[in-house]
Amino acid sequence: MPGSKVKFSAVLALLASLLGLLFSSNSTLDYAKHLDRRLHDVHCSFIPGAPATSEAEACRVAMYSPYSALFKEHYWGGVPISLFALGAFAFYAAFSVYLLVYGSRAPRRAWQFFGFVSLLPLLASLVMFTISVTKLGTVCKTCVGIYISSVLLAVAGALGALSSKTESASEPRIVVGPVLPLVWLISLAIVSLVPALVYAASAPDERPYITNCGELKVPKIKNDEFVKIATTRPLQPTLLFEDPLCPTCKAFHERLVGENIIEKLDVNLVLFPLDSECNWMLDSALHPGACIVSKAVLCGGNQARQVLEWAFEEQEYLTRAGKQGPDTLRAAIKQKWGDTMLKCVDDRKTDTRLNNHLHFASDNNIPVSTPQMYLGSRRVCDEDTDLGLRFTLGQLAPEVLK
Amino acid sequence: MTQPVRPGFGAGAASHMPVAAAAGLGAGALFVIGAAIAVRIWVAGAAERLTTPEAEQPKVAVADQSEVGYCTPQFKQVLERVLHSCGLAEGDSRRGCQPADVKTFASISDDDFNALFTPLKDRGAVVMFDEGEDKLDVKAQKLLEDKWFARKGARYFFVVARASKSGNQAKNRALSHRRANSVMFHLNEVASDPEIEQKVGLLWLGNEFAQLSKDYCAWPSSRGDVKCDEAAINRSAFVSWVDCRL
Repeated sequence: MPGSKVKFSAVLALLASLLGLLFSSNSTLDYAKHLDRRLHDVHCSFIPGAPATSEAEACRVAMYSPYSALFKEHYWGGVPISLFALGAFAFYAAFSVYLLVYGSRAPRRAWQFFGFVSLLPLLASLVMFTISVTKLGTVCKTCVGIYISSVLLAVAGALGALSSKTESASEPRIVVGPVLPLVWLISLAIVSLVPALVYAASAPDERPYITNCGELKVPKIKNDEFVKIATTRPLQPTLLFEDPLCPTCKAFHERLVGENIIEKLDVNLVLFPLDSECNWMLDSALHPGACIVSKAVLCGGNQARQVLEWAFEEQEYLTRAGKQGPDTLRAAIKQKWGDTMLKCVDDRKTDTRLNNHLHFASDNNIPVSTPQMYLGSRRVCDEDTDLGLRFTLGQLAPEVLK
Repeated sequence: MTQPVRPGFGAGAASHMPVAAAAGLGAGALFVIGAAIAVRIWVAGAAERLTTPEAEQPKVAVADQSEVGYCTPQFKQVLERVLHSCGLAEGDSRRGCQPADVKTFASISDDDFNALFTPLKDRGAVVMFDEGEDKLDVKAQKLLEDKWFARKGARYFFVVARASKSGNQAKNRALSHRRANSVMFHLNEVASDPEIEQKVGLLWLGNEFAQLSKDYCAWPSSRGDVKCDEAAINRSAFVSWVDCRL
């Protein structure tokens, strides 16, 4: 049948664009919801239209990563890149409708243009997929939805462009001049920007809220010292409460490292393991074994940062070991750091040091959660340590971002 | 979105052109305006929630010293009186309370006083002494250290020293005082804690107040392997962290 491949390509392009619109809408909605600084479930499913869920770690990792948005220092959370996808897919959907209505008579140049620009989302997807795999170590399902849409769109574009060359039309094709593709390209650029411009123009001012999360009452730890985390250019006095077996602490640490922030922080660390074995503030252990690993960090001395980063790198294994019992965990510590470290971990004085750290948390009545960041004595709100990190640092410690 | 057809093309193709362009433009407008409105609504919704406090704030646990079941109002009342009367709360130089003080501020009977400490059976221990002696033996030292280093979330460490069921009151008072001090001295040696004075509450009861019955022989002690009777259990100092907030 003349023009059937072209029609099929247009239908496929429309479906791919609508799918892309749906996934990028979900992603944008998740982002926008968080502008209220509250906790929300996140869409994270291959199934289009699946509801948001709290089990969405990979999508949260992607959302909190530096690659999820632009202009993070100027807008709280930044301008999510899904907005550009939203605009672009709107354009592709409209252009698919245009091609579909034309059917087999669609101008060849229109298909050539579409074949070319339909590669752009695929290229963007390839870049984002590579970042996900190499930098984040996880792939978010909603992002995969966008990647699939991009692949389908590219396939549809290529197929349509090829078919328009080879297939004979039932009626003569329309011929368009060379200027029109340029107009379409400009339209694509403008339409891709529209949702982002609307978002940026209507985003609320978060500045009044970033200083409202309290201050330390007791600035120094009694009878003890904080753990010093060595950094290359310590500028901003910072206190971190961390649990080496807490995945959120790991993600936070990776963000600080990934965004080249940590090197400009003068970091004092307070160990706050969420493990009832040493932490009386919990009824049951959230991270079994965290007390022992915290003691290893305390014993790290000048190498405390290396021990902490080792604990984060090996977190899955150490968490499993922690569930098996203290001996497995102690063996892991001995294997990596040697007998001297283990002796220190088993020393009563280290128990007392860890207890002093926990009492410091208790003296300051901090929330029982990790991680927590204090710039000087001012507490950085939880939501400002993830989505709003760069914006908040830009406001409270701009030298850190320079 | 299109340019005019070239002359000589069929009327069908020409008639499709404005329809296709209109459909494309219409769909474009629909999708773009729809996306823009959706984004505006989502952001505005978040902005409104931002300025509107949550009706039910999520409860967040706050770090604090431990507080366990035995911290009854009566127990806390006695605890508070001990802290104030024995100089702990103010951190002044006065150290400890003697029997007359305890009797006065506790305002409770001997049995009720002892009953208050019953829930501390597993948290604390009885450090035992030789007759007429105030020296801690090795087992007593070890038990004392074990208890001291198992602080967890407690703020105050109590030492309740006794002397003997029989004998001269003044001598017993002095002996129980020396026993309390022995405990304190040893803690000072092992704890390396400059704020130990603000943590340890000393009470010495001589043989005048709240003496222990033989039942207390079943409590964890430094001489669990030795025969215990009422006389032996009172040659002791009961030590324990107290997990109560005041």
